[in-house]
Amino acid sequence: MLDVAKMAVEAAMRAGADYADARAGTDLEESITVRNQEMEGIDRSESSGLGIRVLSGGRWGFAATARLAETDVTTAAVQAVEIAKASSRLPGDPVRLSEVEPATASWSSPMKEDPFTVALEEKIAMLVEATRRMQKVQGLTFAEGSLDLFRRSTWFASSDGAAIDQVTTHSGGGLEATAIAEGDMQRRSFPNSFRGHIKANGYEHVRALGLVEEAERIATEAVELLSAPEIPSRKTTLILASDQMELQVHESIGHAVELDRVLGMEEAYAGSSFVRPEDRGRLRYGSPLVNITADASLPGGLGSFGFDDEGVPAQRVPILVEGVFENFISSRETAPVIGERSSAAMRADGWQHLPLIRMTNISIEPGEGSLADLIADTDDGIFMSTNNSWSIDDKRVNFQFGCEIAWLIEGGKLTQMYRNPNYAGITTDFWGSCDAVAGPEEWTLWGTPNCGKGQPSQTARVGHGTSPARFRNVQVGVR
Amino acid sequence: MPGLIGHDAFAKVARAALDLPGVDGVEVLFMHEWGGLTRFASSEMHQSTAREDTGLRVRVVSRGRVGVAASNDFSPGGARRAAESAKEMAQVVGADPLWPGLAPMAHVPVQMERFDEATSQTSPAARAEGVAASVGQVPPGFSAAGAFETLAVEVGVANTEGQICWAPSTQASITTVVTGGEGGNGFAETFAGSVAELDAEAIGSRAADKAISSQNPRALDPGVYEVVLEPSAVSTLAGFLAYMGFGGRMLAEGRSCFSGKEGQSVGAPSVSMYDDASDPSTLGLAFDFEGVARRRVDMIKDGVFLEGVYDMRTAQQTGRQTTGHALPAPNPEGPMPLNVFMETGDATVEEMIAATTRGLLVTRFHYSNIVNQVDSSITGMTRDGTFLIENGQIVGPVRNFRFTQSIIEALQAVSMVGSTSELASEFFFSASRVPALKIDAFRFTSASDH
Repeated sequence: MLDVAKMAVEAAMRAGADYADARAGTDLEESITVRNQEMEGIDRSESSGLGIRVLSGGRWGFAATARLAETDVTTAAVQAVEIAKASSRLPGDPVRLSEVEPATASWSSPMKEDPFTVALEEKIAMLVEATRRMQKVQGLTFAEGSLDLFRRSTWFASSDGAAIDQVTTHSGGGLEATAIAEGDMQRRSFPNSFRGHIKANGYEHVRALGLVEEAERIATEAVELLSAPEIPSRKTTLILASDQMELQVHESIGHAVELDRVLGMEEAYAGSSFVRPEDRGRLRYGSPLVNITADASLPGGLGSFGFDDEGVPAQRVPILVEGVFENFISSRETAPVIGERSSAAMRADGWQHLPLIRMTNISIEPGEGSLADLIADTDDGIFMSTNNSWSIDDKRVNFQFGCEIAWLIEGGKLTQMYRNPNYAGITTDFWGSCDAVAGPEEWTLWGTPNCGKGQPSQTARVGHGTSPARFRNVQVGVR
Repeated sequence: MPGLIGHDAFAKVARAALDLPGVDGVEVLFMHEWGGLTRFASSEMHQSTAREDTGLRVRVVSRGRVGVAASNDFSPGGARRAAESAKEMAQVVGADPLWPGLAPMAHVPVQMERFDEATSQTSPAARAEGVAASVGQVPPGFSAAGAFETLAVEVGVANTEGQICWAPSTQASITTVVTGGEGGNGFAETFAGSVAELDAEAIGSRAADKAISSQNPRALDPGVYEVVLEPSAVSTLAGFLAYMGFGGRMLAEGRSCFSGKEGQSVGAPSVSMYDDASDPSTLGLAFDFEGVARRRVDMIKDGVFLEGVYDMRTAQQTGRQTTGHALPAPNPEGPMPLNVFMETGDATVEEMIAATTRGLLVTRFHYSNIVNQVDSSITGMTRDGTFLIENGQIVGPVRNFRFTQSIIEALQAVSMVGSTSELASEFFFSASRVPALKIDAFRFTSASDH
């Protein structure tokens, strides 16, 4: 397939491109869902094709095709050049690319047990057993278990001479317990919502999740939530579990520091950002306890790779240092606009799509102490866990998140359980109120496999490492 | 430029899967899509793309056990391999107690009028001209961002019951946001079945006018306001009801906000919603993804909830007939309406504004999400043009608000319905054809800084 990518690059250069890169790729997916011990859905999908990106006259063009015969590849390359030339219909500064050393390399994500060779019967049996244990809990309506396996193989070539092949394997699974009664519906998920916990590992990650072992506990919580009171509306101290911190970081930091958003390139669709280029080294984004890092070299992250889809090697980039904004995540096109080099954040949702700036693994660096220490140190507050709703404005300022479950903290102890918890805030006020981040023993590298961006719409798989953290004076119980 | 693969070529490839031995039934869903999207920002074309892909999704059933495999290898060999993979899965899973069988043979007319050859062959240069025409309406000090897309799709379904249907279609759209000046944006969009129906200049002009009138938005306290929602904002309400309310499976399982509410009032008498893929004013497919002809379903009539939409499995589950609203298999969420309409009324937006004592005119919502599915609560932000109305007149632009609101409660508070409708998109859903609405109480729970 590397030959196909090289053939596309050569055809584009012959057609008049000033620069070209191409990705030939194959995606393989397997998804299994069991509900109440019965098969709900099982499917495999496979997709192969080629995407070619060119610069001509300072403008981008991109074409993708599933047909890989030489004539089809040449047609796509010529089409990409035509698109680039048509884009010069409006005036503008020509695209300049930051320098990168053309690499010849191979890279694979770490994997001990190939998830696609594990017998289907074994995978299904585990989910059936987990849902059987959930169904033992009286009052539970639906017990659901799922597995999601994914492999992307990519062959990248560029007119600069890069030749890179990469294989990424993602494995994950999760449980969802739903209790419905008297016009109310409550749900508990494990290890996280939206199909569980997915990592760039093999099936060994699924085996270590403990889906069967935790099944009864989350089913019990789902049923208990039906009789729990609604969370009162007030401003209070809020402790977020690691699983909710994942999405808090994703929405209110990760997206806000994407340099394409900052430069207005996503304005019409997903929106822009309140962060400006001149904010580097100046903007107090959070309290001094908030240290955020983008790290594509982190083993096991959904945002990990050897090279991004522009052939730039993976990097570790400080985003917030002691609460002060320092760096964006960027591309070869956007970084020179602010006098920088690419941070290696360009990824495409498969061969069909143009690479965009996407989060890698954007994580909060751990602080000190356990979650139990954090709760014990809190006289009055709320502890929330597991996201079930997210919304944030088009500049990433005003947010509101819902969680599956919350507890009142009284005198350093969890007491009353609450249903339908949510909280709202303003991004920099919220992060500025952070007065504790739990330690490395509580830090988990989560996967977010459903990050939407771009037109045509793309879905990225990104990672976030988070510890529980505490925030003061937060509005909870928004109704 | 790619072109139609066609009914006969699809049938020939599908045959390789349908002939799979040793199983009780096979279904092949075929999709072929090609098109281009010219994206612009800061009044420059920055991301322009073209793509073509095919998809085969093969569902195999063996003694009530079902497996599904998909591939983009559109060839007899690719179809056969997908079928064998699906068979392998079907042989190791348990039987589906609600398996309804494959769709029976039934005639579904081919609607060639939904396919516009010119739209399918739109060149990058033609899209660039359209973008230039739209951007040309933007005044100095402002800039435009957006996308101009042309798309062609052909879909086919064939199964071992003898059913085979196929349909081509095209669509074209322009979306733009104009920004600049002293803060405040403007938005406009248009969707159509053919590129000839688009008026790029008009879209650019409408967004530019709104951006100009949105300058220097002032802060306003959140609270409960009267609202006039333009069609793009109404499409958010319609899209979420389609997603979490009207599906037969959610209804049957108590997960819908309409569960148990058949025959009950869920909106003002002026509110009627239906799904009708055959209506020429929407972008619909005549059959669903298991090969059943779609029928019109009146979900809400004169404010009363009547029924949801069903596929063959949920019809079996509930003792009803399928309405032809299956999504591609496997589909744990069940059926969904994809061509939602809200019936028009007799008011203009100007009349709604004139009837407002103190309220907000909302252009559209952004990044909305479910707060509580069973009471239909969602939250989201306003964006790209929000205005204060006092004593029947627009006073000026205001900064964006977050709303947290039950959709059913909002529909119950509808006092005026627009006399015209627009095909308008919501971030995550297909476009709905909806009018503007005046709602007498809408809850805004916080504000943003822009």
